[in-house]
Amino acid sequence: MPHDEVFEAMSTAFEGGAPVALATVAQTLGSTPRKTGAKMLVREDGTFVGTIGGGCGEAEVWQEAMDALEDGEARIVTVDLTEPVDGEDKICGGIMRIFVERLEA
Amino acid sequence: MTNPAEVARALLTAAREGPAVASCTVMGASDGVDVALGAKMLVYADRLLGDLGGGPLEAAVVEFARDAIPRHLVQTCAFTPAGEFVEGRRAIEAADAIVEILVEVIEPAATLLVVGGGHVGLAVGQLGAMLGMEVAIIDDREDYANEERFPYEARVICGDFAEELERFPITANTYIVLVSRGHKVDELALRTVAERNAGYVGMIGSKRRTRTVLQHLAEEGVDKDELDKVFTPIGLDIGAETPEEIAVSVLGEIILVRRGGGAQPMSEYGRLLATTRR
Repeated sequence: MPHDEVFEAMSTAFEGGAPVALATVAQTLGSTPRKTGAKMLVREDGTFVGTIGGGCGEAEVWQEAMDALEDGEARIVTVDLTEPVDGEDKICGGIMRIFVERLEA
Repeated sequence: MTNPAEVARALLTAAREGPAVASCTVMGASDGVDVALGAKMLVYADRLLGDLGGGPLEAAVVEFARDAIPRHLVQTCAFTPAGEFVEGRRAIEAADAIVEILVEVIEPAATLLVVGGGHVGLAVGQLGAMLGMEVAIIDDREDYANEERFPYEARVICGDFAEELERFPITANTYIVLVSRGHKVDELALRTVAERNAGYVGMIGSKRRTRTVLQHLAEEGVDKDELDKVFTPIGLDIGAETPEEIAVSVLGEIILVRRGGGAQPMSEYGRLLATTRR
């Protein structure tokens, strides 16, 4: 339900004529930190609002979002959290597919 | 082709002001299927913005998306290019060609309208705020309807119940909880909201009390079908006793209405399955 901060940030960016990259969890398999529909918004300066689950996966998505802002292409990032536990990250054990798009008003 | 900027602005409007829209985005397609990754169509209850290239695929997505709006659905679905809905991993793998569509209902945060600012109303509002709902609380007593009483984000309305409720905007995304100081007030409140197509109306009270209220309203001519939809006695049966526990029971019921579910301990499903298979 609470998408407000993401859309508020989108509104502010649009008012200033800036594009944003929007990452949305489109599909999950197994146990994942966030559910389908969770969103993260990335601005051109690299700052972001919202979360799609934190950890390594999020860094990867952030990079793809920055790339999408650059080239305008939509893309899908698959975050695999099923790897064996060797550190503190990726203990959820699921897979998320995240849709990343550039939006501009 | 629709301007992508127009689509982006429409998404924003849907999220901030409504009405709800089902955003349909191409997530992927088998080789040779002529749709672009990221193509987006917005499906409203009564119109479309953008397109997925027309044809049977688009028609099927529109139909599915319209149905998704009242269910607040967010899901990636598979269709064949001929517009057949394909469900389940095996069926998807077996299909010759597939188009994956992220169907996502975008709408303003749900509103939780709490009628009555007493102990239960206070707890219900608090839990609603925690769940990200826009909370409004109405009472006609200043002591129970003032900003200090509610240590969370809520719109506190002090005034005549009937008048304030008439004025309050109610949509399919409004969830109304009647927990006022007595069944007289609940009855009055229910009379003003029963026929306004809220997403949920729940009323606290014993079975006997609430039955009397429903009977009165039916006699007064309030639509019987609408009265049948009222969740009363309110909440899920989890043995709730304290105001906070009652709030969990009530919000549990609201989540159930919004999202669907079995309202059983999940651990029971395995056991139930084992029993039926025996």
